Amino acid sequence: MFVYILRRLLLMIPGLMGIVIITFILSRVLPGDPAIMLAGEQAPPDVVEKIREEMGLNDPLYVQFFHYVGQLLQGDLGFAWHTGHTVLEDFATRFPATLELTLVSILIAILVAIPVGVVAATRKESVIDHISRVFSMIGACVPIFWLGLILIYIFYSNLGWAPAPMGRISGDINPPTDITGLYIVDSLLTGDMVALKESLAHILLPAICLSTGTMAIVARMTRSSMLEVIGQDYIRTARAKGLLERTVIYKHGLINALIPTLTILGLQFGFLLGGAVITETIFSWPGIGGYITDSILATDYAPIQAFTLLSAVLYSLINLSVDLIYGLIDPRIRYE
Amino acid sequence: MKKQKWLALLAAVSMAFAVAGCAENANQQPAEGEKQGDQQAEAQSKNITIAYSEGGQTMDPAEANDLTSDTLVLATYDQLVTYGVKTVDGAEIAKTDEIKPMLAAEWKVSEDNTTYTFTLRDDVKFHSGNPVNAEAVAYSFDRVKNSNSGSFLYGMAAIDKVTVLDDKTVEIKLQRPNHMFLQIIAMYTFSVVDPAVVKEKGDDYLKNNAAGSGPFKLEKWDPASEAIFVANKDYWQGAPKVDKVTMKFTKEASNRVMLLDKGDVDLAIEIPPKDVEQLKQNADLTVRSDASNRILFLAMNTQVKPFDNVKVRQAIAYAIPYDKLIHDVMYDQAKQLKSAVPSNTPGHTDAGFVYKHDLEKAKQLLEEAGYGDGFSFDFTLGSGFQDWEDDAVLIQAELAKIGVEMNIEKVARAQFLQMQKERKLTSYITKWTSFVNDPGYHLGFLLYGKGSSNYGNYVNAKVDELWEQANNEPDQAKREELYKQAQEIITSEAPWAYLYEYNRIVGMNKDVKGYIYYPDEVIRFYPLSKGE
Repeated sequence: MFVYILRRLLLMIPGLMGIVIITFILSRVLPGDPAIMLAGEQAPPDVVEKIREEMGLNDPLYVQFFHYVGQLLQGDLGFAWHTGHTVLEDFATRFPATLELTLVSILIAILVAIPVGVVAATRKESVIDHISRVFSMIGACVPIFWLGLILIYIFYSNLGWAPAPMGRISGDINPPTDITGLYIVDSLLTGDMVALKESLAHILLPAICLSTGTMAIVARMTRSSMLEVIGQDYIRTARAKGLLERTVIYKHGLINALIPTLTILGLQFGFLLGGAVITETIFSWPGIGGYITDSILATDYAPIQAFTLLSAVLYSLINLSVDLIYGLIDPRIRYE
Repeated sequence: MKKQKWLALLAAVSMAFAVAGCAENANQQPAEGEKQGDQQAEAQSKNITIAYSEGGQTMDPAEANDLTSDTLVLATYDQLVTYGVKTVDGAEIAKTDEIKPMLAAEWKVSEDNTTYTFTLRDDVKFHSGNPVNAEAVAYSFDRVKNSNSGSFLYGMAAIDKVTVLDDKTVEIKLQRPNHMFLQIIAMYTFSVVDPAVVKEKGDDYLKNNAAGSGPFKLEKWDPASEAIFVANKDYWQGAPKVDKVTMKFTKEASNRVMLLDKGDVDLAIEIPPKDVEQLKQNADLTVRSDASNRILFLAMNTQVKPFDNVKVRQAIAYAIPYDKLIHDVMYDQAKQLKSAVPSNTPGHTDAGFVYKHDLEKAKQLLEEAGYGDGFSFDFTLGSGFQDWEDDAVLIQAELAKIGVEMNIEKVARAQFLQMQKERKLTSYITKWTSFVNDPGYHLGFLLYGKGSSNYGNYVNAKVDELWEQANNEPDQAKREELYKQAQEIITSEAPWAYLYEYNRIVGMNKDVKGYIYYPDEVIRFYPLSKGE
């Protein structure tokens, strides 16, 4: 098992190298000149030229590339021109917010979609099944920005239940002591109940908004794999043995049906990380999403490259853990 | 076995909560609201929250060149001189051609208008406690000279040399007489920074921190979420009337409108024109919509066929559906532009403006130019502004009626700016704001033959001559006369089809007082007050 993990981690290296090269090239191919963006629209050409020189943009591409790789190897992700900070600083303040939002969204998707999928499968063609089908369909195709605005309009503007869509915590509340950067975890760790309540209230709407697509897919996936499993001989055997229906469904059925669901969840993580862009903009969530959009608009290379790299690492790690969990769920799967 | 595991987990979780309960609580004070209820309510009324769209890029005065960054700078720094204020229809707006003392108590100008001697106030201290002196002024100007963003303004001001005469006197020599000099150094770029702090903490310190003498001190700036300023109680002009200003960065415009409507922010900028009417229904709000210096125009490259023909350009100007643009696209939150120079700028004239939506006249002009059968041309649309897109489509439809085919090519903003700089665009729509409210500045960039932003390549020897002559003319009235002549020539030659002047729309709570409109569109926090 240990050898397996090590091998997988080593296999990540060529993949990441590919990503470094591709994002480097792609971001240089992006039309637009960062020096113009930095100098401001009214700046004359000689100022722009001076900035280009300073930023090393006049160097040949391969020189820029080796310079970039050299920086990377020293753990330096570069400098974000459009914010005036190092990429590392910017990521440190913004990435935890996105991660927290993504994790909570996945959690919501799991908590809602798996039970719904199971119920829909076991009561096939019932009212519940049809309702869940309709909701999955809506959930899968509703645009996030529209849903977000509607949620804000109903729950903040009309009913007044949700806090103002301004960030992760209200202005007059201190954020919890910074340990992991995830407000919910930090406030639990420090026992800051005020901050906990606040951060939960703030994260709820954006997380629901972000998770709808995943929820729909996971629910449908759970339903179909559940249906397949329920038709298997061992389920009939379990029933014949006189086991409780609940035990049959959850212990013998669900556990076996979870593998495809888990695969989907692993894939969805990457999707959510990207989907956070729109949600974050709508809810003024101080995450990485809006930052990356701005970076692209400003043709600011370093943050785009760093984000792609970071996402790739995270995504590979999540995939690895999904593969490992397979083995926990299904003892027949072994890693050599 | 299974059950034991669950029990153990439950026990662990409840333990964690129990321990947590005893742990230090970071939020004790807002948790028990009642113990300081009244005090808090009173304190709250002196805080102002403002919704902005963008988080800003830098706190460094010499590098700031976006609206939020400029606002951060003006809240924390002072300049040598500042703009006057006048009242128009009961609302206060800036009078940028009237320059008032700020850090400089007074100044003298030499006979030949090239040497300015400033005498500094002696009661001003930086936030650090260091005195504001002549050395600090010289140091700050030097930073601007060597900066990336601000250096062009240094050149624009035509500053030759800054000399410290004594602790409180500084002399600035110009390369030539420059009537815009004082207006330029009143800008945020020329804020006076504390040299001692910068030297101690390094030049990069100013990117994220303030070292000024201004009315507010920076408490927190996180471009992803908010910036918080606290009042500088010892400010030399008197403590600000509010204790705290919070800028909330809310990108989504409809959210800014909702937050304002619900009273969660006191002031919101960049309100979409379509929401103005709805906000006006709310009795708790005031909506200010001031004519700004921001203009929008359709530029035609005069070096490219068929726009090298003046009649073709005039025909286009006659085909623009002016009323539709202002009413349907801008919901009447804009005003028709009738000169290359905005109507707010001293020296503006709309003399010679004859264009109105008249397709017959347009057709006739095309006929005269030899394009009776029409023609087709490329139009480049930079992304990022919805109204540009709407305008382009409306204009395209009108041009089709006179047989002119306008091919709209949409490109990303960054690409658009780059293509503009290469000066190869056939035609495009763009906006422009002249930070210095002067026709010389404005035309010098945009329509002077050697202007650095003259991307339509308009060259007219007479206009250039008038501009150069005006540039050396110390008498304001004579100068404006020259600029007026230049405007008339430009209008008749139509290198641009003038579209509109944007309004600056700001929504605010009725309690908020002291909002002053400035042509640079930056809100100064110092005059703001709340309540009573």
